[in-house]
Amino acid sequence: MKLRLLTLTTLAVAGIAGSAFAADTVKLGYQLPLTGDTAQYGQDFRKAAEIALTEFNAAGKPFKVEIVFEDSRSDAKEGTNIARKFVDDKEIVGVLGDFTSGVSMAAAQVYKEAGMPQLSQTASHPDYTKISKYQFRNIATQAQEGPYNAKWMASKGLKTVAVIAEQTDWGQSVVSGFSDAVKADGGKVVFSEFFNRGLKDYRSLISKLERAKPDAIYTGFFYEDGAQFLKQLHQLGVKTPVYSTSAAYSPKLIELAGEAAEGMHLTSNFLPTDPSPNVQHFVEEWKKRSDGAVPGQFPAQAYDAVRIMLAAVEKAQPNPTREKVRDALAQTKDFPGVTGKTSFSADREAEKELVKVEVKGGAFVPVKD
Amino acid sequence: MNAFETVAPAGHAGRRRGWLVPALILLLVFAALPALLAGFDRGYFYQIANLALIFVLLSASMHLVTGVAGLLHLGHAAFYGVGAYTAALLTSKLGLGFTVTLPLSGLVAALVAFLVALPTMRLVSIYFAVATLAIGQMLYLVMLNWVDFTKGPNGIIVTRGFELFGFSLSGRIATYYTVAAVVTLSVVAISRLSHSYYGNALRSIREDDQCADAMGVRTVRLKMEAFTLSAFFAGVAGSLWAHMTGYISPGDFKFSESILILAMVVVGGLGSLPGAIIGALLLILLPEGLRGLGDFRNIMVGLVMFLSILLLPKGLLGEVSALRLVRRQLGAAWRHTGDGERKGEGIGWR
Repeated sequence: MKLRLLTLTTLAVAGIAGSAFAADTVKLGYQLPLTGDTAQYGQDFRKAAEIALTEFNAAGKPFKVEIVFEDSRSDAKEGTNIARKFVDDKEIVGVLGDFTSGVSMAAAQVYKEAGMPQLSQTASHPDYTKISKYQFRNIATQAQEGPYNAKWMASKGLKTVAVIAEQTDWGQSVVSGFSDAVKADGGKVVFSEFFNRGLKDYRSLISKLERAKPDAIYTGFFYEDGAQFLKQLHQLGVKTPVYSTSAAYSPKLIELAGEAAEGMHLTSNFLPTDPSPNVQHFVEEWKKRSDGAVPGQFPAQAYDAVRIMLAAVEKAQPNPTREKVRDALAQTKDFPGVTGKTSFSADREAEKELVKVEVKGGAFVPVKD
Repeated sequence: MNAFETVAPAGHAGRRRGWLVPALILLLVFAALPALLAGFDRGYFYQIANLALIFVLLSASMHLVTGVAGLLHLGHAAFYGVGAYTAALLTSKLGLGFTVTLPLSGLVAALVAFLVALPTMRLVSIYFAVATLAIGQMLYLVMLNWVDFTKGPNGIIVTRGFELFGFSLSGRIATYYTVAAVVTLSVVAISRLSHSYYGNALRSIREDDQCADAMGVRTVRLKMEAFTLSAFFAGVAGSLWAHMTGYISPGDFKFSESILILAMVVVGGLGSLPGAIIGALLLILLPEGLRGLGDFRNIMVGLVMFLSILLLPKGLLGEVSALRLVRRQLGAAWRHTGDGERKGEGIGWR
């Protein structure tokens, strides 16, 4: 009977939580990893969301917005639990998150069935937006970034390329998106391999890669793995130029890799040094909340994702419903965010403008070519 | 329920009540709980109930190997994964439904377990634990890296929900009843296995495998059977998970899931099936119930687990102390000569 009592109390506690709200408050859900292996990303997203939300609520709109944050630990079990919870809450009209594609897609099965608009700031799986008309993402896909980088490298006369990427759905899309474009441009991928996230020793991978004598190395990693890789590349004295995606764009990359990051090329759609008031405002707010640290690519994407969602909620006024918010999201065109102008294509993919960046003197410097 | 209480009887008097306790549990699972769920009519509660049931099955299946036979199993989630992948691949590639994938998931997981058991089941103590750890990692890496077949990290979308011979069972209540029925039948089977002469033979391995060997118990064969059977039920649980969520990826079956299942068995009490079930319920319901605490909820869950090991070394209803078992297993790794009664235990295989 212990079992029954336990179940009952759990149910009761959860039931009380869903209390009533004033009619002029709109609720959104945000599922993200606040604990666990990927907590550093989730914590950043929450911070970015709080900045966006505070601004929105301070702007004197006729209604207020509340965001319910739930910790998914990047675990599909918890992600689907949260999705059910959000769907149950009739006041929630839109959901942001999750961080990883896997959890986002597991949760998306629930949102698809319930007709809840879902906007992920980072889910990059090629099939994510194909799940239903309710899935949106605010991240440039590798189908866009790969060809862009391939052209950039071809213009620099780099013909043979070695490609390495983390063994995730995203890493898979990095390699396929880039390799296809390289071949189309007349270049050649001479080496291609995946590594598991959190790998400590890249030296065997580097020596295998160097044996193929590439003109350049194209990499799909996040900053933690990237810093390790760059440091070991530096230690082995390899001078082959390294190119990477916007996912590696984080001040922490330079912080961790130090001088090993010098000369690395990557794309980005967010530059904290951009003088536009929009970006400077976000960077200032971020610094205030993070001991002076500068935000990277992902928090900027999250900040924009939240603001795109808020704009959609505003457009869906009065009496926003899930369906109205979805339609408003789908109409998003040239949204002026800190990651450039964002529009959603007919298949709910974010179309982003990319910028070329190089690491010079311990900082990301935008370059023309 | 407990037909035979041999070693260290657990603190609950199941025998005298006879049919009463099972009847009450059945009433709870098939009448009271669904009525309650239907009353609340919230997808969240259904989801948690289903998830808790799936982990009850996982915990119960691991109970057979770790609780009853006393073998530290660190790769259980991999067989759960094999089952889930079998179901997902059969559905997405061949278009088969749940009726077919459910038994096949169990059988494929059991087959894989049998094959990997062949070279490893002669190992004892810590060496066995390390071998299962390796097996779990190997299977996980296969799911992750065999991209052509498993789609690797991209995962698989499972297009069909629960059904019975083409009749859809995808509604909330129907889904709950499907999961509940499969889990209950499996738990009854596991209960019969662990509360019988067969279960007692397994217990003899846990208590002293050399002695059991000397008494004519075929320890290696029994270990292999327990391992394979347990994988079968884990595979069944995998099929339930695949059809329930509609999307699986290797991340669902990594090492931390094995540890979660192990923690359920340990918190509930090694060797006790009700313990394993309550352990699973506790570790699924507690983190959800504590969502209100925000970032602290994992600390609270950790605290509950820590205190339960500290204050209840045998878990809630256990037959043996987890600490004792682990100490004996880990200790054996570097005890080479041995002394007195434990002589020769340092041998890593048999």
